[in-house]
Amino acid sequence: MSTSNEEHIASEVKSLLGENLLEVKIPRPRRLFLKVSREAYKQAAKHLIQNMNINHVSTITAADSGKEMDVMAYLFGRGVEVTLKATVPKEDPKIPTLTDIVPGATFYEREVFDLFGIVFEGHPNLERLILPEDWPAGVYPLRKEYKVTRLKGPREVE
Amino acid sequence: MSLAVELLRNLVSRRATVLYPFKDREKVHVPEGLRGRLTFNRQLCIGCGMCFRVCPSETVEMIEDEKGKRPRFYLDRCTHCQQCEDVCPTKAIGLTQQFENFGFDRKEMILE
Amino acid sequence: MSTTIFKVPVGPQHPALKEPENFTFYVEGENVVKVEARIGYAHKGIEKLMESKTYLQNIPLVERICGICNTAHTVCYTQNIEYLYEKPPPRRAEYLRVLIEELNRIHSHLLWLGVVGHEVGFDTLFMYVWRDRELILDLIEALTGNRVSMSFTTIGGTRRDLTPQVEHRIRKGMDILEERTKYYKRTVPIDPTISARSKGIGILTPDEAVQLCAVGPMRRASAIKEDVRKDDPYAAHDEVPFNVISYDTCDFYARIMVRVDETLESIDMVRYCLDHMPSGPVRIRLPNTPPVGEAVSKVEAPRGEDIHYVRSNGTDKPARYKVRAPTLGNLAPLLQSMTTRGRYEVNVADIPVLLAGIDPCMCCMDRMLRFIEPSKGKSWVWTMEQLKKYTRKM
Repeated sequence: MSTSNEEHIASEVKSLLGENLLEVKIPRPRRLFLKVSREAYKQAAKHLIQNMNINHVSTITAADSGKEMDVMAYLFGRGVEVTLKATVPKEDPKIPTLTDIVPGATFYEREVFDLFGIVFEGHPNLERLILPEDWPAGVYPLRKEYKVTRLKGPREVE
Repeated sequence: MSLAVELLRNLVSRRATVLYPFKDREKVHVPEGLRGRLTFNRQLCIGCGMCFRVCPSETVEMIEDEKGKRPRFYLDRCTHCQQCEDVCPTKAIGLTQQFENFGFDRKEMILE
Repeated sequence: MSTTIFKVPVGPQHPALKEPENFTFYVEGENVVKVEARIGYAHKGIEKLMESKTYLQNIPLVERICGICNTAHTVCYTQNIEYLYEKPPPRRAEYLRVLIEELNRIHSHLLWLGVVGHEVGFDTLFMYVWRDRELILDLIEALTGNRVSMSFTTIGGTRRDLTPQVEHRIRKGMDILEERTKYYKRTVPIDPTISARSKGIGILTPDEAVQLCAVGPMRRASAIKEDVRKDDPYAAHDEVPFNVISYDTCDFYARIMVRVDETLESIDMVRYCLDHMPSGPVRIRLPNTPPVGEAVSKVEAPRGEDIHYVRSNGTDKPARYKVRAPTLGNLAPLLQSMTTRGRYEVNVADIPVLLAGIDPCMCCMDRMLRFIEPSKGKSWVWTMEQLKKYTRKM
């Protein structure tokens, strides 16, 4: 039986990374979720973008899951949307950048740095994108520790 | 040059603006199914609280009166999304075609 | 040699400013050599707020991310949650979603054409196009109940159905709009004002468009034929036929013509949907809590590719929701197209039209521009109205 597009891409990444590829999920057609270790993240992204022609970066984002954070890069090409996920511990939130391979990823990485505090090593100018300058340093709004507080109840009228 | 032809054609045709609300108030066409102001029928309400759970903007507050639980609506927070009408099992809530919803005091905007 | 620096402060609160965003232009003579941008003046914190409301309460919130492409965001959100349940909506609901999406696209492109007329200085075109836009707003109001924030789709299908009277009105409206759009397609290329201010301006080569990840009409105006409706079909787009429009002159004129042609394609798609609408229910009932998992959904909004990501943890509120609106993807190509490099020159007079060229939907763009001339050591600040007056004098 012939392999589909998504299985073909997954098997090629597996032959490149070996045991650094931790998990593969194909929930529906044209969607592929790959979980890799932090050390192999840049190597996998480079192979996908330069050698396999999956070179459109849709976005780069992160999610907080308790003691660690997941960094996810979404790449589109060959008709498949590939999600490349790498886990980063909260005490040491560093991961290599993708801007030397694809320059269009600068604004996405700046947004993740601003809202989560993850440092992308090698980024040309990693500074604030969204939050104002007088926001206190070290406070990252999208982490789970930051609770949204309410200033006024819905029924309070002046 | 086709723009000059268009200009002359528009000089002799009807005006496109409607002078609402001074002159042409009745000429405003209101379609059926417009999501306007809320109405509420106390006789049909059974106090299930589904409208409270579904409202996205905290317009609904559940209070008690002599017949049981019932909602109270603060219409200055309403977003006119029609979720409460969709989910009410006895059709006690309805959205009318009235699109002029304003008042000079917050207390006028409470619907019992 | 001592240099004097002139600064004219026009602060954030000024009666001439429309929306807040900040650009810094480095100029030499009339050429722009470098651009820097500061955004984030209207950050609303929607992603964090969505983690404290249920899935059903989040639908009006997602709709209000953008006023003009609200259908794209709601269709993307409801599709995402349906991917988590792994239960597709009924076929009639998918055709209705395509119908409302294409009506929204026609509205957005007509609005943008008027705004381009206003930025170029051709206010007559602005008035004519916005008069035709009222027609499509009346059609949307008859179908969904509100002119702008439609609230038509929900998790499991759509909320309302199409009645024969509304269908008749839509068909008549499409005939009128097709005639008007063909008239604009004839006059816009030959008009001398628009040609002089759009041909050869703001070049973005195909290599740069791929490297900087441009999306939407900006990408298709640089000779790349890619569209989410063709490459990754969703809803009923695998059955509704259409052509992917692209022009290869890579300048601002190509962006105008791509959008005008897309309007004509959308009118044909609306007619196909009305002719081939399947019968059946429009909604299925789904439980309150989706299963644990994650999903990614993509949609072609009028401005480009819109992508959403959801992660659920078994409760009735999402654990993480990420929205990437299309204008953020076009920001890096915009800055590149406004820089003088090689043999492509960009003058100060081209700035207002290029800023309107990406169809900006960041609902707060500050029109206070700071100019820096490094060789002479001068720096001054203008508002958008002053810049427009300066550009019209040339």
